[in-house]
Amino acid sequence: MHTRSAILLALALAFPGVEGVAQMSRAALVKQSDIIFIGTVTQVGAVAVPEVPASPRTVVVRVDQVLEKPAPVALTAGDSVTVETARAGSLKAGIQATFYTTGWIFGRGVAVREVGHEPGRSPVVASVQTAAVARARLEVNDAELKAHIQRAAMVVAGRVEQVRPAELAGAPTRPKRISEHDPNWQEAIIQVQDGIKGAQAGEQVVVRFPGSADVAWVGTPKFAVGEEGTFLLHKDSTTGSPLSMIAGRSVPAYTALHKVDVLSKQDATRVRSLIKRP
Amino acid sequence: MIAVGVALFASCTGSERQVPPAKLAGIRVVDLIPASLSGETWQDAEPFLALYASNPRLMAASAFTPNPGGSASATAPIFVSDDGGDSWTLRNTLPSESMTADITHAVGGTPPVLYAGIMKVPGFPLNELKANDFFSPATMTLQAFRVDIDQPFVRTSQVGNADRVYIGLNDFDAPDGRTATVDVSLDGGGTYASRRIETRSTAGQNGPSIRPAVAQDHTVYVAYFGWRSNAGADVTSDVVVVRDDSGATGATPFRDLVDPSDHLPGRLVATHVTIPWSNAPTLGQERIGSTLAIAVDGQHSENVYLAWADRVGTGDIYTVHVRRSTDRGATWSGDLRALTNATDASLAVSANGSVGLLYQQVTGSAGTSRWVTRLEQSRDGFATHQDVVLASVPATTPTFQFLPYIGDYNCLLTRGNQFLGIFSANNTPDSTNFPQGVMYQRRVDFPTHRLLDGSGAAVAVSIDPFFFSVPVLP
Repeated sequence: MHTRSAILLALALAFPGVEGVAQMSRAALVKQSDIIFIGTVTQVGAVAVPEVPASPRTVVVRVDQVLEKPAPVALTAGDSVTVETARAGSLKAGIQATFYTTGWIFGRGVAVREVGHEPGRSPVVASVQTAAVARARLEVNDAELKAHIQRAAMVVAGRVEQVRPAELAGAPTRPKRISEHDPNWQEAIIQVQDGIKGAQAGEQVVVRFPGSADVAWVGTPKFAVGEEGTFLLHKDSTTGSPLSMIAGRSVPAYTALHKVDVLSKQDATRVRSLIKRP
Repeated sequence: MIAVGVALFASCTGSERQVPPAKLAGIRVVDLIPASLSGETWQDAEPFLALYASNPRLMAASAFTPNPGGSASATAPIFVSDDGGDSWTLRNTLPSESMTADITHAVGGTPPVLYAGIMKVPGFPLNELKANDFFSPATMTLQAFRVDIDQPFVRTSQVGNADRVYIGLNDFDAPDGRTATVDVSLDGGGTYASRRIETRSTAGQNGPSIRPAVAQDHTVYVAYFGWRSNAGADVTSDVVVVRDDSGATGATPFRDLVDPSDHLPGRLVATHVTIPWSNAPTLGQERIGSTLAIAVDGQHSENVYLAWADRVGTGDIYTVHVRRSTDRGATWSGDLRALTNATDASLAVSANGSVGLLYQQVTGSAGTSRWVTRLEQSRDGFATHQDVVLASVPATTPTFQFLPYIGDYNCLLTRGNQFLGIFSANNTPDSTNFPQGVMYQRRVDFPTHRLLDGSGAAVAVSIDPFFFSVPVLP
């Protein structure tokens, strides 16, 4: 698949009429990558640092410009990176390309695995590639958010009115377990201001979330009274208790356990736009 | 070894790689975060270490360190070293999304086999894993899994060409609330049998810490907390040690040590202690409630040391106790050490019989409080001991991102004439915080006490894992 992507991209550059195909392929590469850079191959069958095993598939690439990387990764123009290519012999010394990669070995230097590369004409115009990768990342992010929206039972913009301990009345009867990983389920009562999907303005909904500070729940959204946002809500299939209570009424309980499930209030516009997008 | 480290880092450019002089010969302290992750600010807590007896250059380590690729990553990393701990690389080989929720590991035979017990993300099931070569970039192989467990703690031994694996864990699906369990594999993880080691009534479960220790004659000790009742945040517990004299190969293992009071398996080393169970920042931003360690003299299995923490009611938060048995657990000393406001005790017994005790203790108060990491070692059952401060760092910074802050446990091991271990601490590059010296792989500027990213910009202080080695007392 990676080779096919590179071929499609090369064709797209040669034939401007297939730009749409190229964009799709670039988005696929971006989706699978967390380190993207423009670089020039300096050695083939070699490595930049000794802690990485050399093989016919490894090449050393001088970084010309970093387009995307995680914040912790120390990678700047001029660094030499070891790239494990998708296919031996696919790159020759002197070639400049945009490399779509994932992190492999982090030591004195960075070693990455190639997802694909975009050969282009040399020299690659950095500003053009920067914009193209940024567009592709936006496209990927939109697609992922749209998928989350489609999976959500309810999407609302609203305000957290109350936070209370969850009473999991319907949960299967089993002894309470004491563990440092206990989620300590809480319930946020959200006043719906804008019912984007599956809800009406003025409703109140119950959203369960782990109040625990344990490492197991570190990436899970937490709610606080007064918090406003756009919330992608899923019927609670996690706690074993699908119902909760509001003012004496039994109501469905929801969860928002993925970081994408909690967006800013301003993101409501983007969410509406994605819902309308085919 | 110090000379090796200085030579290694002297080759780096600029004053930012300066290494302060070591104060005692032969002691190394090394920050594991590699240069290529100099921008990281994560809370790399709860470190663990695995060593090879056959090749002292090979080591594996772990912490709550995420895959640098981010939360969408399908794998989580371990650290490996092939130069005896002077330098470390990070490799994404654990089948867990970005990070684990618990991890320990131990080595097997040659080539460098590694066994790991993790709580996998998402869902937190136990995964019992194996890598035939932990330097391989391949994802570790899943050997067994199940849900509803806590704190897998891995130890290994070798019999001929076969690796034996002992994974202490708290199995919430065990019958009758007797949750203290050891998953035993006698065939290199090919098959596991869950062995229940609690024989008494509990308060519905045992404590999370189930800690095995294995001697060369295949004696296996396991320490656990026998939770008997709980009231509010306090648990009343026994501290229990079981023993198996034949590597847990029999049909009813861990029944070789009986308590004289009730003739049941499991020696009651301490009874009715108060365990403050606090899953909130309580001791220097750390939670408390499951500190437990055991170590056996590998060559003289009659000698075994035990450490646990409880609250003794004299105004302390959490006190670490250390005791010893010289008759295979039949009788135990009183407290050889009682260390107030301390946690993360780890024990190891060296080849010459010296015992090492690693622990982390909060000193001072409020804004001036510090986490002090110490290695004590003794040749005479702590009648006398050598005390080495490995780190003394602010306890109030950085603010915790999650719990555990520095770890529910750390790790101490021994090989040859060295104690080798790992702990987590505030990573400010200030030589006064590391009295024995410290080596950083990540970019730092000692004169200004700053961490630097790849472009030379300042990076916020965080919690890092630190490897150390200390010579055994002759």
